[in-house]
Amino acid sequence: MYCIKSVSGLMDIFIFGYISIDIFWPEISGWYMMSQEKDGFAVVVEGLVKRYGRVVAVDGVSFRVGYGEVFGFLGPNGAGKTTTIHVLATLLRPDGGRVLVAGRDVVRDPVGVRRSIGVVFQDPSLDGELSGWENLYLHGRIYGLRGRVLEERIEEMLRFVELWEYRDRLVKHYSGGMRRRLEIARALLHRPRILFLDEPTLGLDPQTRAHIWDYIRKLRGEMGVTVFLTTHYMEEAEALCDRIAIIDHGKIIAEGTPDELKKMAGNDIVYLKIREAKPGVCGFFEDLVMECKELPGGRVALKVKDAVKALPRILLRARDRGLDVLEASYHRPSLNDVFLLLTGREIREEGPMDMIRAMVMSRRWRR
Amino acid sequence: MSEALDALIVMAYRQLKRFRRGRARLVSSVVNPIIWIVFFGLGWSNVFNFPMARAIFGGLDYLSFLTPGVVAMSVFTASFIGGITVIWDKQFGFLKEVLVAPAPRWATILGRIIGDSLIAVLQGLIILGLSFLVAHSLNPWGVPASMFYMLILSLAFTGVGVSLALKITSMEAFQMIISFLMLPLVFLSGAFYPLKYMPDWMKIIAYVNPLTYTVDGIRYWLTGVSTFNPLLDLAVLAGLAAIALVAAARLFSKTTLD
Repeated sequence: MYCIKSVSGLMDIFIFGYISIDIFWPEISGWYMMSQEKDGFAVVVEGLVKRYGRVVAVDGVSFRVGYGEVFGFLGPNGAGKTTTIHVLATLLRPDGGRVLVAGRDVVRDPVGVRRSIGVVFQDPSLDGELSGWENLYLHGRIYGLRGRVLEERIEEMLRFVELWEYRDRLVKHYSGGMRRRLEIARALLHRPRILFLDEPTLGLDPQTRAHIWDYIRKLRGEMGVTVFLTTHYMEEAEALCDRIAIIDHGKIIAEGTPDELKKMAGNDIVYLKIREAKPGVCGFFEDLVMECKELPGGRVALKVKDAVKALPRILLRARDRGLDVLEASYHRPSLNDVFLLLTGREIREEGPMDMIRAMVMSRRWRR
Repeated sequence: MSEALDALIVMAYRQLKRFRRGRARLVSSVVNPIIWIVFFGLGWSNVFNFPMARAIFGGLDYLSFLTPGVVAMSVFTASFIGGITVIWDKQFGFLKEVLVAPAPRWATILGRIIGDSLIAVLQGLIILGLSFLVAHSLNPWGVPASMFYMLILSLAFTGVGVSLALKITSMEAFQMIISFLMLPLVFLSGAFYPLKYMPDWMKIIAYVNPLTYTVDGIRYWLTGVSTFNPLLDLAVLAGLAAIALVAAARLFSKTTLD
């Protein structure tokens, strides 16, 4: 899955994306090229430590994010995700370790870092007494943009997040989803090379979430922006990220592509339901699967390396042997399974019970 | 440098824009001084309506003595509260947007202070305009000079307010400061009664109270009556403003989310 996705992504960039950029995004193509630094990483973090009093919020975290990558921090509430993003955005001073963003040290050259980043915070940071347009105007002027260039960019960004019609409405009358979209537009207005998104879809309805996922994909695809995001939604990390670091109790416990991570939790399982199954069915599939188990009710469980590729072969073999397959399904281990395997807990959110549990957990840990 | 200036101007613009939207703030900040002038001033002006009374107030009728003080008070209150609205920005998150911007922090905070100061001066001018209706010995030619004093005063106290707000985390603490600091400073500024009749211990406080020098300076330009040399008044105010602005800029430069 992942391979196919990334190859087509590359093709997009090299063949379609590049051409379309030149035609439709004349200004942005230069911006995109600029962000393609051959060597060097967008973010380099080595042994980052951040304490609040006696509580260690981030405990020796190290990772690297390449230019043009979408990198995700996945972890439960209180794992240290927001603290990390605040250090990367120069709003918190690290207590230990080295942090480079766009090649600049967050402690020694915070202004240099600030010039190359855009940030969407978890909590709203808009001025509710101003309109959407005015919020962007203010941002642009603070970042040294002005005149027609600024006005054009405001329009471009407001259209990008589909808020152009609502530009004159005061932000305090915006819905939660509109505010989040406006914040994304604002964070992109000065064309940062690296965008930080702290829980970009937290508390949003599924429709708005899908919109925001679209924007993030476009950012990577069309504009070549490096994205660093935090989330505690597994589907979000899986849907958007090229690479994911799973963070818990201030430490990175696993890192890799979504597929690499999921492989840690074991293999895929294909389930078949066969009409009038006879004992010994497993024998038919011996050379195709790693393990086979006959279940009651004519069901068979087949352990395979890659269910997507194995399934057609299994079905073909079943037909060859005259088996009448009624149902076929497969289960792939999710990132939640990975988290469960590594920590013995579930990352799952949604629902107040889990929130409470997460809070209890984090408190227990802090003691 | 032009980038810094841009950030400064747009932050001032934001304060003005917000003020224009929030009518309630204007009404509430103007109503309070009007209450002082009408219920306090008009009341006492009849009490002080005997032959020797004018001598107490340097030859002025009570309302002409009082109104410059109320103008100073309204500018002082508006600036202080304007500065402290930084706490709101903290709570509503907008402060983070400014903190993460590459623009020099001194420029963004100074722009904000200038914007709030202009608003405070505007409020002072409204009160001053109303004062001309009830007080008869005010000199209209003194208005521009008083405005200048008002501006310096409000730069100073917006700076003080911003500095406090950057250090304070809760609205409750802010309420406490208001009640502990603002009213006593107003009473000990010579706005309501002349300094020379104060008990000595009060005089000492009045002499270190920067508001005293504003009241005195504005009263000089509007009525010609003063305790100190108006240039001394200006020097004290300017000194305070310089200290407060540098303090606010420094504090803001060091601000993190810790």
